[in-house]
Amino acid sequence: MTFVPDVTGAVRGPLVPTDEEPAIEVENLGVRYDLRLTRRTTIKGSLSGMFREKPAASTHFWALRHLSFKVAHGESLAVLGPNGAGKSTLLLALAGILDPSEGLVDVHGSVSTLLTLGAGFEMELTGRDNIDLAAAFLGIDHRLMADLTPEIIAFADIGAFIDAPVKTYSTGMRARLGFAIATSVTPDILLLDEVLGTGDQIFRNKSQKRIHDLMDGAKAIILVTHDLNTVAEYCNRAILIEQGTLIHVGSPQETVDVYRHRAEERKLLADQAGGRFTGDE
Amino acid sequence: MSTTAPDTVGLQVARRRGSVGWLELMRQGIADILSRRRLIRYLVGADLKRTHADTVIGQLWWILDPILQVVVYFLVFDLIFQRKTPDFLLFLMAAILPWKWFGTILNDSMGSVVSRQGLIRQIPFPKIVLPTSAVLAGTVSFAIGLTSIVVVYPLYLSRLTPWVLLVPVIAFVQLIFSLAVAMVLAAANAFYRDVSNVTQHILRLLFYLSPILYTIDDLPSSHLIRLLYGLNPFAVLMSAYRSVLWGTKTGPGTAPDFVGLGVLLIVSFVLLGFAIALFKRVEPALARIL
Repeated sequence: MTFVPDVTGAVRGPLVPTDEEPAIEVENLGVRYDLRLTRRTTIKGSLSGMFREKPAASTHFWALRHLSFKVAHGESLAVLGPNGAGKSTLLLALAGILDPSEGLVDVHGSVSTLLTLGAGFEMELTGRDNIDLAAAFLGIDHRLMADLTPEIIAFADIGAFIDAPVKTYSTGMRARLGFAIATSVTPDILLLDEVLGTGDQIFRNKSQKRIHDLMDGAKAIILVTHDLNTVAEYCNRAILIEQGTLIHVGSPQETVDVYRHRAEERKLLADQAGGRFTGDE
Repeated sequence: MSTTAPDTVGLQVARRRGSVGWLELMRQGIADILSRRRLIRYLVGADLKRTHADTVIGQLWWILDPILQVVVYFLVFDLIFQRKTPDFLLFLMAAILPWKWFGTILNDSMGSVVSRQGLIRQIPFPKIVLPTSAVLAGTVSFAIGLTSIVVVYPLYLSRLTPWVLLVPVIAFVQLIFSLAVAMVLAAANAFYRDVSNVTQHILRLLFYLSPILYTIDDLPSSHLIRLLYGLNPFAVLMSAYRSVLWGTKTGPGTAPDFVGLGVLLIVSFVLLGFAIALFKRVEPALARIL
């Protein structure tokens, strides 16, 4: 029995959803940015904004609005949409990095975004110390991390540099270490912004394989992608978002078709309107 | 690769919080700090490693820095202005070192949030650990810097009394007060970078308004001035440090103003409670605005 009574009805994919409670429930989700406060605001800027007469609506921007969907255990959901549609904001909300401005996000299980590739590295600390620091940021128990550390070091393949300060690392070494840390723990729910590869060809193959392992191990996957070919390959369901709202939910092929169709329509309109700007892609 | 993530990684239910009370926010903030002790410890370690990294004499700067800073004031006031305060070097050190600690704490904690904006947008973690660890790192470097007083004390042995042992008590009062201010400023600075600029000027004003280069007794004894200095937490703190480390114009180390310190400690704890709650209140917005 499926547990996915979403707007368009349940869609069966290659993975059979179990009858547990859904891994992810998003209900009427809205994420709003306050434009007066984003990006290095100064008091002067926001004071002048406060005193100027203007419609209140212009100070806010809804990156996502009225978004509802569910992801069952065992499902892999692709998120499609043109640039600026709110796909990344959705991942941030699911990861718990952004709080919903309205509605609710219910995520059952541990989440990993793999966004953490080297973001928190302290340059003066050694690679080994940075593994501990990253684990502490991620909230991974230090005993578990101690067990995982040899594997991380082996995977990152940076040899004796592991005991040198990270500031001495090359960009590739940093990326490899970051990737090894971010992928060391298999999460229940994997949030991916593109199926990414890091570093040189050899490491890229290795990292692709690891991501596939993670995808196999995860109970649910959300994949944001521009590569329409990967959608059918990795996902059993897909949603299309435009301007922060849900346009379509369905099988990967169906959603990709809707996406292509709408993109062409937009392009046609743009061509008619002068043809100087083709929109996304 | 094979292990399943522990529960702590996941956010379980992120229901939109309604209006959570201040006490609840405060409780959450304290719980965040306590549950992330290890993270705070690593961050303090990283902060300390970063200071004076890449310098030739490295660790020596911990002690040299405060001494040289005091020596500058000493030269200006003792030699140029001919200030005749007995044992002036010790007099200055007793107040300038704690003052420097306060300034460092405020600047580092304001920087601690904005400098980690990349991380804040990539990992969900309690942001309150950032100003907390900045304050603790500043405290460690202050404690090390205090040894510079030990270095000069042999010159002023006649001023040494057991009251010196109260320095940690006074420093604790200052720590609670500083932590409260640091948390508020770290949050405010994330929204408005002007806060950092304004703070520099307020710090400078407060430096001259506090008995650091002088004592309260040097001031005209009007009621208004007494009252104003009674309201300045640094008048209380600096006078207390000076009492136990230096003493009076005529005598050695003596008892600090216990009533003033006690009141300040209570006020500081109340402020800290509000500061933690305030930080928790704005914390969800940080990932959105940075």
